[in-house]
Amino acid sequence: MKTIIIALCLAVSLAFAQKEAPPAGSAPKDFTLPKKHIVTFKNGLEAVFIPYGRVPKVNISVVIRVGNINERPGQTGLADLMGDLMKEGTTTRTAEQIAAEAASMGGSLNVGIGVDQSTIGGEVLSEFGPRMAALAADVVRNPLFPESELARLKNNTLREITVAKSSPQQLTFEKFRSLLYGDHPYGTVFPTEEAVKGYTVADVRKFYKENVGAARTRIYVAGVFDQAAMEKALRDAFESWPKGPAVHTNVPKPKAKKQFHLIDRPGAAQSTIYLGLPTLNNFDPDYVKMVVTNSLLGGSFGSRITSNIREQKGYTYSPNSQLSTRYRDGYWVQTADVTSSVTGASLKEITYEIERLRSEAPSDAEVEAIRNYIAGVFVLQNSSRGGIVGQLSNLKLHGLPDSYLANYVKNVHATTPADVQAMAKRYVRPEEMTLVITGDKASVEKQIEEFAKGVPIEKK
Amino acid sequence: MRFRRLAVLALAVVTAAAAQQFTVPVEYHTLDNGLKVVLSPDPTAPTVVVAVYYNIGFRIEPKDRTGFAHLFEHMMFQGSKNLGKMEFIKLVQSNGGILNGSTRFDFTNYFQVVPAHKLETILWAEADRMKGLNITQENLTNQQGVVKNEVKVNVLNQPYGGFPWLDMPQYANENWYNAHNFYGDLEHLDAASLKDVQQFFDTYYAPNNAALAIVGDFRPAEALALVKKHFGGIPKAAVPPLPDLREPKQTAEKRFNKKDTLAYRPALAFAYHMPERNTPEYYAMGLIDQILLQGEDSRLTQAIVKKKGYASGVGGGINLLGNMFNYNGPMLWTVSLIHDNGVKADTILAAADAAIEELRTRPVDRATLDRALVKLRSDLYGEYEGFFGFGTADLLASFALFDNDPSRINTLENEFRTVTPELILRTAQEYLRPTNRTILTIEPKSGS
Repeated sequence: MKTIIIALCLAVSLAFAQKEAPPAGSAPKDFTLPKKHIVTFKNGLEAVFIPYGRVPKVNISVVIRVGNINERPGQTGLADLMGDLMKEGTTTRTAEQIAAEAASMGGSLNVGIGVDQSTIGGEVLSEFGPRMAALAADVVRNPLFPESELARLKNNTLREITVAKSSPQQLTFEKFRSLLYGDHPYGTVFPTEEAVKGYTVADVRKFYKENVGAARTRIYVAGVFDQAAMEKALRDAFESWPKGPAVHTNVPKPKAKKQFHLIDRPGAAQSTIYLGLPTLNNFDPDYVKMVVTNSLLGGSFGSRITSNIREQKGYTYSPNSQLSTRYRDGYWVQTADVTSSVTGASLKEITYEIERLRSEAPSDAEVEAIRNYIAGVFVLQNSSRGGIVGQLSNLKLHGLPDSYLANYVKNVHATTPADVQAMAKRYVRPEEMTLVITGDKASVEKQIEEFAKGVPIEKK
Repeated sequence: MRFRRLAVLALAVVTAAAAQQFTVPVEYHTLDNGLKVVLSPDPTAPTVVVAVYYNIGFRIEPKDRTGFAHLFEHMMFQGSKNLGKMEFIKLVQSNGGILNGSTRFDFTNYFQVVPAHKLETILWAEADRMKGLNITQENLTNQQGVVKNEVKVNVLNQPYGGFPWLDMPQYANENWYNAHNFYGDLEHLDAASLKDVQQFFDTYYAPNNAALAIVGDFRPAEALALVKKHFGGIPKAAVPPLPDLREPKQTAEKRFNKKDTLAYRPALAFAYHMPERNTPEYYAMGLIDQILLQGEDSRLTQAIVKKKGYASGVGGGINLLGNMFNYNGPMLWTVSLIHDNGVKADTILAAADAAIEELRTRPVDRATLDRALVKLRSDLYGEYEGFFGFGTADLLASFALFDNDPSRINTLENEFRTVTPELILRTAQEYLRPTNRTILTIEPKSGS
């Protein structure tokens, strides 16, 4: 008996010896969040300064709580039109002057309209930081909204919508949002042609007046800069700005129910899939645990759904699940573009992976790997000028304390396999999911009967 | 007195200009087996970028295996001696890192951004797959499926799929190496065998055909020791010489129309053959790109977008799959836009030509050139930082592979500074000739 055991042990250790284990690396280095310094002006506006890096560039971002959330029924896209028009000149600068001035600083003046908040500013060479602050302030505070450019910008909008609606991903996204949010501003991705054509400069001015001012604004300066000079430039440019309207919120009540929609795209080589449901947002105490859960389930290259439908089955190239959040709102969604003939099979595998996680806690090792991954990604998220501004403005939007970022990695590491299973059970519920597919109806319809069972099929 | 004061002033100006130059640390070694190693420490964040570049791009894949260089890139994630399928990916992620690979004109790269203390772990893993692959037919078949889905999602099922980045080289170039479908015909992808995979690996994936760049928070001496430990024993191989990639000089304008039944609006692209890499004219084209195309102040944007309203924006540049530095062969400068049905491509071309001809007629003023330089310098710094320092690794590995001189990264600013208005004029006259141009129009679904 003894000899047999020894022989077996030898065989086992030989098998192990064939594969070399990866070296563990050295001792971890400390990561500390870049330090920030906040200055509050007389009008209550805050400027947040974050010295970072050594490349002589600076990011100046004027972040305003204005976006599509502020659009009333029939006003879809008005915020975007306001953004487009802001770049077309101020009371003292033409559009061409704005573009040339920003370019001569090594940057451009960007206006990015989002659903909950918008960012105006840009990145320039460090020596031009104070001048960029003045330029951004002029665009934010003194927009001309010239009538002369309106027709061109509206035509651009219409062309962009037409192009977007030829993309299967955009069509699927639009329908998914509409099924989840209905009439709430989050539910309408694209305005109608009539709406766009009807917008006037007066509409834009009114929207600006009702939604833009110091009380809704916070300014971020990140990178290499001269603190005194930047502070002075921002004070000169923004301290006299009236407070204007207070922050306006409008929290939606998205639908958590089984819904299905098929958009027919005859002859399509792939089916574009959105499968998801309303879930928690950044403000919820479970959020960090859910971030871990999402990464393990479908949100990373090594995740279960990606391993299954990409690396085992070869059905798709870039499947992904995500936690998409807005102010006090969020949904979880799995997206994938799969070969048409395996649309049903892909959905089956996705559902299988969801159910498996709900019914069985993952191993310690699997969760440990994902925790490390998220902790690593967090370091990267805080290791670029734009990333730092994004993290801080997101924190502000959700009304979270500084300790949220400080404790983030700790909370990631505190997430257990039981937590992951509990999160999947609580927040990833297949029986309440909305499914939208854009694909070749003739090839797809039969394959998805199982998913469509008991729910009316909408057809376009 | 006067002269002396001037001299002092001139000195001050030179010092200021020199101070503006941002220097990237570069330490360069070549191992005995030919592996080029570039180290660039930067302690800004406790992370490190490891990038391995193989001198094999999609231009030079086998003629009956279009798309093979890219398919092969996928195989590098399918298993090596000590890391089975998915294990490379899981190793990087479970150590808190991110990773990717890409296939470009003249290289295939693999890179990771990881916490700095995991440098050795990643070097070990990259060395493991440089030593050899362990691929099964099942894994090859799986990745053929993944790549075919990649082509579908990016090209076949997408309006404007492949426009103009995949299309234009096929129309504008004459030499097969530059002019074939880099993503590959689906039948060619299906035809790839395990034997092809092994042969390709044996031919091109040798240390003497590769460069390794490390950028981030590390000590160069320690990193070099680790590189030698893990890569030093990999034998070199006989690498075939690169084929002749040269393009004949174009002497007449070419024009093509492509139908896109998924698109609802027409599109237009035009492209010119670039001056040879690293020549004075090449640097001048970098500045011409800034003057004509990059940013809202650019002349084509002002003419086509702002004044005429033909498009929402004008895109393009030098090397649509990278930047003006990370290639090694013929290249195109490309301009593209999507427009309305009611506007003819020739009307838009006329507006573009007015802006381009101005540059071919008289020297640019100093202010225009200075602005182009500032934009370029700012873009260059952005490139250095791109993707957590990967951008620096990309330039260093490219310059090591193509020029055996990664320190070129610190000469670029000066090369652009020495470009004169006269050189811009000469370059525009020779390279922005209509006879050096290919025009591609996209015809949308009729009735849309």
